[in-house]
Amino acid sequence: MLKLLAKEMKLTASVLSYVFIAFALMAFLPGYPILIGTFFCCLGMFQTFQAAREANDIAYTALLPVAKSDIVKARYGFCVFIEACYFLLTAAVTLIRMTILTDVAAYTNNVLMPANIVYLSFVLIIFGCFNSIFVGGFFKTAYQFGKPFVCFIIVAYLVVGMGETLFHIPGLEALGTLGFDHSGTQLGALCLGFVLFIALTFLSMKKAVRNFETIDI
Amino acid sequence: MAIAEVKHLKKVYPTFTLSDVSFDLSAGRITGFIGRNGAGKTTTIKGMLGLVHSDFGQVSYFGMPLEENEDKIKHRIGYSTGAVNYYPKKKIKDIAAVTKTFYTNWDESTYRKYLTMFSLDENKTPSELSEGMKIKFNLLLALSHRIEILILDEPTSGLDPFSRDELLDLFVKLKNCGIAIFFSTHITSDLEKCADDIVYIQKGKLIASCSKDDFIENFGKAGETLEETILRLERNARNAETAC
Repeated sequence: MLKLLAKEMKLTASVLSYVFIAFALMAFLPGYPILIGTFFCCLGMFQTFQAAREANDIAYTALLPVAKSDIVKARYGFCVFIEACYFLLTAAVTLIRMTILTDVAAYTNNVLMPANIVYLSFVLIIFGCFNSIFVGGFFKTAYQFGKPFVCFIIVAYLVVGMGETLFHIPGLEALGTLGFDHSGTQLGALCLGFVLFIALTFLSMKKAVRNFETIDI
Repeated sequence: MAIAEVKHLKKVYPTFTLSDVSFDLSAGRITGFIGRNGAGKTTTIKGMLGLVHSDFGQVSYFGMPLEENEDKIKHRIGYSTGAVNYYPKKKIKDIAAVTKTFYTNWDESTYRKYLTMFSLDENKTPSELSEGMKIKFNLLLALSHRIEILILDEPTSGLDPFSRDELLDLFVKLKNCGIAIFFSTHITSDLEKCADDIVYIQKGKLIASCSKDDFIENFGKAGETLEETILRLERNARNAETAC
């Protein structure tokens, strides 16, 4: 399994998947819908799927002495690795904005989603959707990725829209505060994000393993 | 003794059916798998490697069914599905470096030996290789772990006559080391040169699975070469179809 993950990183991965992790720094941008950076990271992972298809990666991997289920798990593992890198980097940026930069005018006068704990929860939800809709959809055929990616784009933008809107709704202002005010509520939202990410990823991986077993390569 | 068995393999596609294909492979013998384009050779080989799911039948190696023992079996067999068509922009040495990590029985000295024999430059990428050299690279990877069975899909098509001759000589050397070789081809002279056994397939149906001598005795006519016999059988099949 670890060998397959190493193969994903050395042979299969598009360099853009690694470069686009840097979009985590977009959380520094004031007056910008910062969740779009998460979508760009997913676009980077999409490049790996495209490069893998062009390089006949599945045909090569299927001939190696490995279990078919591990081929699917390794691809999920690669995505989770990129997502974890992005999350840690954007969490570090968020922490800086919540502490050192909390009183900066450009951030306090921001009507868009602030970089706070709830933002991190939405990052996890978008990644969960990517794993579930795109990666899971890809492994229905191990070839077609256009339709799953379009479906993911639609859902991702709905989630971004939800993130940008939610804290403007009366009664939900606590979700959009800067610093550590309402941190209890916000940590609850982060826990929900983690639960959704794990559930969406794990369930879609299980289904993708079942689908991949039935595919003719 | 059979070290690989294909029993009643069947695969149904909307426009093609591979039906009831059965044959054995024995250690130290070369089996040529002959049939015209579209006869079902690649489907059979993909079925033998578990790349397509058969609708019926069983494939087993070393007495173990492929389905439950894919990992163990793939360590002991080598396969090459024609020319390398993966990772066209990665260097040969990088592909080999990753591939070797999957084989506990990878033999670096054998890898180096065939790398020199095939005159492959490790710093080139598959996209920089000719079709013939791509086949050789695929073979290089297949031969570099201590295999007992070598399965090849049309390894000689795309090769120049000299490289083909060289490859067929290599088959004989590998056979003398006790390796079972199974290769598909539509070039009948390849069979004449090195095959011990012949598996002949026509429109998804197995016509013969026997030794080359038995094939010539059962299907050939006096004074006919193997190529002429196969061409006549194909012609008869086409005529029968036209008559219907």
